[in-house]
Amino acid sequence: MAATGCTSGGSTLNPLWSNIFRKPGYEGTLAYFLGTIPIFADLGRRDLAFLETLVHLRNYRPGETVFVEGDIGSGMYIIRSGGVRIEMKDDQGANQKQAELEAGDFFGEIALTTPKQRIATATATEQTVLIGLFRADVLDAVRKRPATASKILLGLTRILSERLQHAGLRLGDRKYLHLTPSGEKPE
Amino acid sequence: MTTPPKSTGNGRNLVLFVVLTAGIASGIAIFSSASTMADWFETATSGLFLPLLLSLIVTFLLDPLVQLFERAQISRTASIFAVYLILLLFLLILLSLIGPPNWKSMLEALRADVPRYIARVLDYLNSLLANLHSQFPILENYDITGKFRSWAQEFLGLILLETPRSAMRIGSLFLLVPLFSFFFLRDSQRIMRGLISLTPNRYFEMVLDIYDHVSWQLAHFIRGRIIEAMIIGMVVWLGLAMTDIRYAPLLGAIAGITNLVPYIGPIIGMVPGLVIALVDLGAGPQFWWIFCVYLLIGQVILDNFILIPILISRVSNLHPLWVILAIVMGGKLYGVLGMIIGVPIASVIKIALLEIRHYRTFNSTRDLLLSDRE
Repeated sequence: MAATGCTSGGSTLNPLWSNIFRKPGYEGTLAYFLGTIPIFADLGRRDLAFLETLVHLRNYRPGETVFVEGDIGSGMYIIRSGGVRIEMKDDQGANQKQAELEAGDFFGEIALTTPKQRIATATATEQTVLIGLFRADVLDAVRKRPATASKILLGLTRILSERLQHAGLRLGDRKYLHLTPSGEKPE
Repeated sequence: MTTPPKSTGNGRNLVLFVVLTAGIASGIAIFSSASTMADWFETATSGLFLPLLLSLIVTFLLDPLVQLFERAQISRTASIFAVYLILLLFLLILLSLIGPPNWKSMLEALRADVPRYIARVLDYLNSLLANLHSQFPILENYDITGKFRSWAQEFLGLILLETPRSAMRIGSLFLLVPLFSFFFLRDSQRIMRGLISLTPNRYFEMVLDIYDHVSWQLAHFIRGRIIEAMIIGMVVWLGLAMTDIRYAPLLGAIAGITNLVPYIGPIIGMVPGLVIALVDLGAGPQFWWIFCVYLLIGQVILDNFILIPILISRVSNLHPLWVILAIVMGGKLYGVLGMIIGVPIASVIKIALLEIRHYRTFNSTRDLLLSDRE
């Protein structure tokens, strides 16, 4: 997924051509980095350049809160560098660590489509640069560049549906687990 | 052992005294320099208010057109140039169709006619006053006609004196407005993003969201108001052009611009047209037709039944009290121009405040829902 940074219209370019057209140092740019994120895998060079103008780069100190569970979310974050800890409150109200994310990971993408409450708390674990993509900007893109915006939204839908399918499968496993008398986790 | 503390106490008092004196002196210096700075600022920006305002209006009007071009994968700068080119062509075609407006003869005629209209109004006022005096002898002491006459003479002098100067200013507007609006169109988003990026991380999402809502509402409101004024102006112009009245385009423009001020504006905008109609055409059927154009067609049917419901949301409606306050305060600050734009600016502030409150109540209801769920 990460290698398809240079695609146009869904078909991968011949490596020779992509080498000719790729400017030196392109790998270091924000546009290239965005192309390596699964959500934006369908986007071509022009789309990525446009996406670069949509996103916000934010710097976080170690331990700084990105958002807290219950906040009204308005967008997703991609980790450019550094790390982020995701925590959720358990029944007693204590924070339970859910995941440690690192550069190239993204989180908070559900809030991109609807103003829902954040279901987890995100905290920077070190000096971190996050790329924020927010609903306001995506809506703006829908008005200005509908084709690019629909590619972004399709990518988002793909990720979310994959996750939904995964969750469904795991739910099926759990049902199965519940029915098995031995209580062993079926692989 | 008692002297050293005493001396330090004296020293302290002295230091305090010196510090206070220095503080007051520097305070006065800062204040006076600040007021000088404010003066400089005022002088430097005095001529810029109108061009900036007009460029903002042009920007709001042209932005949808530019976006239309941008959709076709044309860069923003190229889109702006394309829109400018099309507008220029449109204007040139319009000019070649109806011919260049004869400014000079129009101005000459206006100069000759305005005193005539004013004299007629004075006559009418005098007869009215004579009637009034016979009924209310107390009013004898108030020289209403005299006041009106001096005001009218002032106004006339202003027209005669200011015309060459305002012609210069209008000329500079033709240069400045397209230039300013070009940069507003091209860079406003970048500038606003830069400003928003200054907010702390914790409030960034909220500020971005609120800014998005407010700017959308504002663009909608301002665009709606301007289009409303244009349509009203056009309709009044067309309606007046059917009669023998002179200055129909000018009267249409006046009606459109004054229409920006709710409640009071349309009435003020009606007065010149009705006066000219009465003086030139008399109180015949044509006068009543003009009256109908202004009141029934322009205000009741077009504005209240068609334009306001379509173009302008009820959210931006201001209480009449706020309208009057905005007109008075705007007039104090910027004269006639301030009176016209005071109300739209008050509406803009109201929209911004409402959006922020809406966002906050939205948040708090979410909190309520959460606590209910828990």
